[in-house]
Amino acid sequence: MSWETVIGLEIHVQLSTKSKLFSGGSTEFGAESNTHVDLIDMGLPGVLPVANKEAFYKAIRFGLATGANINQTSSFDRKNYFYPDLPKGYQITQMAQPIVEKGSIKIAVDDYEKEINITRAHLEEDAGKSIHDMFEGETGVDLNRAGTPLLEIVSEPEISSAKEAVAYFKAIRQLVTFLDICDGNMAQGSMRCDVNVSIKKSGDKELGTRAELKNINSFKFIEKAINFEIDRQIKLIENGESIVQETRLYDSEKNETRSMRSKEEANDYRYFPCPDLLPVIISDKELKEIKENLPELPEEKEIRYINEIGLDESEAKIISSSKTMANMFEEASSKTDDAKLIAKWLVGDISALLNKDNIDIDESNLSAENFGKLIERISDGTISGKIAKSVLEEVWETASDVDEIIQSKGLVQIQDESILEDIAKKVIESNPDQVSAYKAGKDKLFGFFVGQIMKETQGKANPKAVNEILKDLLK
Amino acid sequence: MDKKTVTTISYLSRLKIDDEKEEKIINDLGNIIEFVDQLNDVDTSEIAPLANPLEKTAKTRKDIVTAKNLKKELLDVAPSANEDYFLVPRVVE
Repeated sequence: MSWETVIGLEIHVQLSTKSKLFSGGSTEFGAESNTHVDLIDMGLPGVLPVANKEAFYKAIRFGLATGANINQTSSFDRKNYFYPDLPKGYQITQMAQPIVEKGSIKIAVDDYEKEINITRAHLEEDAGKSIHDMFEGETGVDLNRAGTPLLEIVSEPEISSAKEAVAYFKAIRQLVTFLDICDGNMAQGSMRCDVNVSIKKSGDKELGTRAELKNINSFKFIEKAINFEIDRQIKLIENGESIVQETRLYDSEKNETRSMRSKEEANDYRYFPCPDLLPVIISDKELKEIKENLPELPEEKEIRYINEIGLDESEAKIISSSKTMANMFEEASSKTDDAKLIAKWLVGDISALLNKDNIDIDESNLSAENFGKLIERISDGTISGKIAKSVLEEVWETASDVDEIIQSKGLVQIQDESILEDIAKKVIESNPDQVSAYKAGKDKLFGFFVGQIMKETQGKANPKAVNEILKDLLK
Repeated sequence: MDKKTVTTISYLSRLKIDDEKEEKIINDLGNIIEFVDQLNDVDTSEIAPLANPLEKTAKTRKDIVTAKNLKKELLDVAPSANEDYFLVPRVVE
């Protein structure tokens, strides 16, 4: 029997506002517990939530970038459930009138591209954090995160494999970081996702019963959790059993999913319009302004890099793939006109280091500013390309300033021709055999002399000047 | 309105209903639903849903942090807390 997999993703994107969705509480990550809690976040009696307009603007940017409809009138509903880290006993969310509906995003998997439709993206508040393992018989609650604005992005069930799911997640992450609406930091939980998985017989029209996998926060785990779940469902059905619609938790240590909620706690959220909040209106003028100030998106950057700056397609693709990489390129471009040189470093040495360490550029020690300096020092002749490699390696390890490394290690390139000529003469004098062999036609020995001079100067000689001087002296 | 529905609703809202009052509550809730059900007689097919009976739109905030650190005050008034966290009976996932 052959099976088709049907996957839909709900991605929670933490919007990078300074304050919360309905209060003036700070959204700063990693603060001391319970220090960023406003009376509104506590859900104390008599308080009134007031919506943060910036969260709407950020949500709208996402909507515009995915070609979605923007609902200029959107409203809030209450989703009712009890959990200790949800102080009010309900979450304020957008059920009936979400801010964004019907968009789409392109994903690339191995050798094909696919368009995934986005059903909706709505604003809602985050819950606090429960700490289960610190206190005997009790759970600690930190409400710093309570009320932080989230954009929940819901895809259509059009994703057909774990790989496509990962590609979709990556595409969303790339987009929200380029749009500057989320920092994309998965380790800090700025992006989390719930995955709906079901299977059906190939060719069947009707969807199978789905299981929802909760709160997965890494690319690797999305793929593993889905693949585990697909296998589990196929085995169940082939054994004549049926799938139960339920929420399952992915355990990354055991690589398995397990049932999370008992039957009596069947999801019944009793949504109703939130009486505390009036509908929020976005004016035509606001919408126009957001549209006009939309940042340049990866695809647009790629095209500009090729057409206006003259990069190769492959270079342009790699550099525009992440916001940090593109920032580095643009920062360095302001220091030198040699775009090809910058591209060569990003696609070559830096990509190689990233691959070696298996990290993302934003996890590396290299800042856009420091990379700009490195390129500047190469193009103004302060250091040679070869020395630059060792400087880069040092920055990679220690995050030290490029100029400080060059100064403290005395790596400034020797350009002075009279100094270089003296060294070249010394090298020629002490290697008479090689000189006569070279003069007898063994051209390859030219490299030997260059190498000797580099050795004498610890690699600091300007290679171009060395070549010219040697050619002259060995005539 | 039947016993099963009332049991479910009371569980979802964490309200305990005394056995001797159950019958009356089932009855009362049934009457309330029946009364409100009259609304279904009105044809609303041409009317957009209303999010709020006040026909106004929301005032919004600028994205500014205004809250003070109320940690001590908030933890002090909680039924149970230590110096860092609110404490509740253990919930296990």
